[in-house]
Amino acid sequence: MAGEDAAACAPQVGGHAPRDAASFDEETRALIAPDAGSLPATPPSAVEANFARYFAADYLNPGHDQYVYRHPNGLCVVGLAPAHVALKEEGGITAIDFNVGKTDRSEIKVTGKRKRNAQHLQENSALCKVCTKDKTFVVRCCVKGQLLEINDRLMKQPDLLNTSADREGYIAIFMQKPADWLKVKDKFLSFEEYKNLRGIC
Amino acid sequence: MTATHAAAAESDAEARSILERAAAASFPPLHAVHHLLSVGVCVRCIFRMFGAFSHACSCASLTVPFFHSFLEEHDDSAKGGSCSCLSTDGACCSICFGILLPTCHQDEGVVPFDDISRIDIITSMVSQAIQREGYQIDGFSLEISLPAVVAANERAIRLYMKEKYGSENWFKDEIFSQQTMSVKEGLRLLIVPSLEKQLGVKHGNNSFRIRLTYTHDDASLKLKRLLPNDSNRKRKAESREGNDTRRNSTYDDKQTLSETDSFIHKSLEGIQDQEFCSLFKLPPEKVSKPCHLVISFLRPAIYIGGRYLKLSRNVSQSCWIIDDERMGEASVEEIIKESVCAISRGDGYKFHAAGREDIDVRMLGSGRPFLIEVLNVRSIPSAIEIQQISDKINSSEKKHVRIRNLKLVDNEIWAMMREGEAEKQKQYAALIWTSSPLTDDDLQKISVIKDMEIVQNTPVRVLHRRSPLERKRIIHWMEIEKVEGSSNYYLLHLCTQAGTYIKEFVHGDLGRTNPSIGSMLRCRAEILQLDVTDVKMDLLQ
Ligand SMILES: [Zn+2]
Ligand SMILES: [Zn+2]
Repeated sequence: MAGEDAAACAPQVGGHAPRDAASFDEETRALIAPDAGSLPATPPSAVEANFARYFAADYLNPGHDQYVYRHPNGLCVVGLAPAHVALKEEGGITAIDFNVGKTDRSEIKVTGKRKRNAQHLQENSALCKVCTKDKTFVVRCCVKGQLLEINDRLMKQPDLLNTSADREGYIAIFMQKPADWLKVKDKFLSFEEYKNLRGIC
Repeated sequence: MTATHAAAAESDAEARSILERAAAASFPPLHAVHHLLSVGVCVRCIFRMFGAFSHACSCASLTVPFFHSFLEEHDDSAKGGSCSCLSTDGACCSICFGILLPTCHQDEGVVPFDDISRIDIITSMVSQAIQREGYQIDGFSLEISLPAVVAANERAIRLYMKEKYGSENWFKDEIFSQQTMSVKEGLRLLIVPSLEKQLGVKHGNNSFRIRLTYTHDDASLKLKRLLPNDSNRKRKAESREGNDTRRNSTYDDKQTLSETDSFIHKSLEGIQDQEFCSLFKLPPEKVSKPCHLVISFLRPAIYIGGRYLKLSRNVSQSCWIIDDERMGEASVEEIIKESVCAISRGDGYKFHAAGREDIDVRMLGSGRPFLIEVLNVRSIPSAIEIQQISDKINSSEKKHVRIRNLKLVDNEIWAMMREGEAEKQKQYAALIWTSSPLTDDDLQKISVIKDMEIVQNTPVRVLHRRSPLERKRIIHWMEIEKVEGSSNYYLLHLCTQAGTYIKEFVHGDLGRTNPSIGSMLRCRAEILQLDVTDVKMDLLQ
């Protein structure tokens, strides 16, 4: 097996327990061995498995498409949907700016279980601006609630917005009251509806 | 008949000689002794106060009438007419409220026990309760708790004596303090031999505790009202209770009572004799209602420890309910508790484990250390019973949980488990998928990594209830094994510092764990299944 070959040529690491996979007793070995026949060709991704995905097309402005991924624990991850107009600009997005109006959202440090310092924002509040070569687009919160974190990696690596807006390129995480979610839930499109609308396959 | 007569005669003779010795050696003038008897102090309290208790306590014939007739013979003041000490009003002793000389309620009213051996009634109540509760014991220790009013009574009687006889030559202030045995000690002396005989085991520093709690609500409340600053104190006590969330009626009652008692004790300590005399009626009023006795037993918690395996991805570690809905079909905690409960009876069971795994993660290999704390256990389980608990779980139909190395452990292991938890390493096997197939170079790259530091932001899935933090964790080693007969599927074996979020380390949690398996292999990595294969602790191995 490939695994055993790899283990055989790996340098020995002192002080650790035996690390080759074959060191399990037979029973444990049998329990952890997966049944290759039952595995799907492509498993659902962590995002697909863990979140309900919702989309807002033309949010406040044409082509301003955003997503809201809702976790069963009530947290919402917000980012740019595949057909966002900024992603279609030549050269894509080159910068992100969390300095909107009076506050720089990247400078607020939320702390503790009670999420002290978290800003309470409205659905249509500006969350940040994304910039292309010659244009700037305002990104909205899309949900009403507490802003727990913004993705500060985007400030150093804005390209994540172009390459993986649906994962590492997410923009922010909100915590929302369940009642507030029920009020806005129906305004959003499902992933299927969004795909059909924008002709994505 | 004759035998009984002979025994009675012998006992009478003994009582007589005890009285003669006490009169000669330790009693004050007999008219004062007689006066105590007539204000309702019991025979035992009199002997106790004058330091002759240990000789007298086991003598069955030392009754009030016997005592009175002895005094009548030796002291002129006791002669003639009906004496108040012989009244049959059924009042309890004005000091001990019948604790040393129990009275019993009968249909016609309160009847004092003439027979001094009636303390045995308490003994047999204790013995029956032990049997009823099913305790197995190899010895016992005894705790006695008396109402504060007993101490107040004793003080009142002393001050009364001082007031009455203080000017007489024989009276010295320290007459009591030198010789007195406390009511508690007196009761202990009476009841311990009786308990030893009845229970067939010795009294000593045993972990099985018999607790006798005497209370007298009427007298305690009455006494409390007499004390200064009562209302002040009460307000404080109430506001304290108001903050307590554990409010239920029995708790409140006990709380109020013990607060009352400790309040009385404290207040009495702070009061000078002069003030005491002005507050209390001397001699104390006679009370016909005896103390209320509660018998209870206490044994320190025992610990049964071992390691558990969790073989199901639909069983949580502890009972987990969200919005009235049960998550998973069972829990390790309940499965283990149920079996312990069936074999080792106690008042309560607490489950403690060295860390935990998610509901969809199996616990395999050598298992995870855990302890079950059994409160107030009825009998210390034998090796055979421990084996029975283990067998019961391991042979259960559903096979969700298996137990290893179950044994009785001492409570030091509790601290060891807590300490070890933070330092321990854990080994996992994860079934992963990668968006592009891995090369031998990839596998090699992963397997040479040693003690790599990663940074994990609090995972999104727990961020709603935990602080947003960056945590540094160590991945000690990793090994990737290809799953035969599939493409892009691998078994990832890894050993990490406790507290590492493994699922997030695989898929990267939106880039919030860094590096991750995905970022290191420059592809998308997903995790399908996770098993803990080893919790590296020496404990209960
Ligand atoms: Zn008399
Ligand atoms: Zn008494």
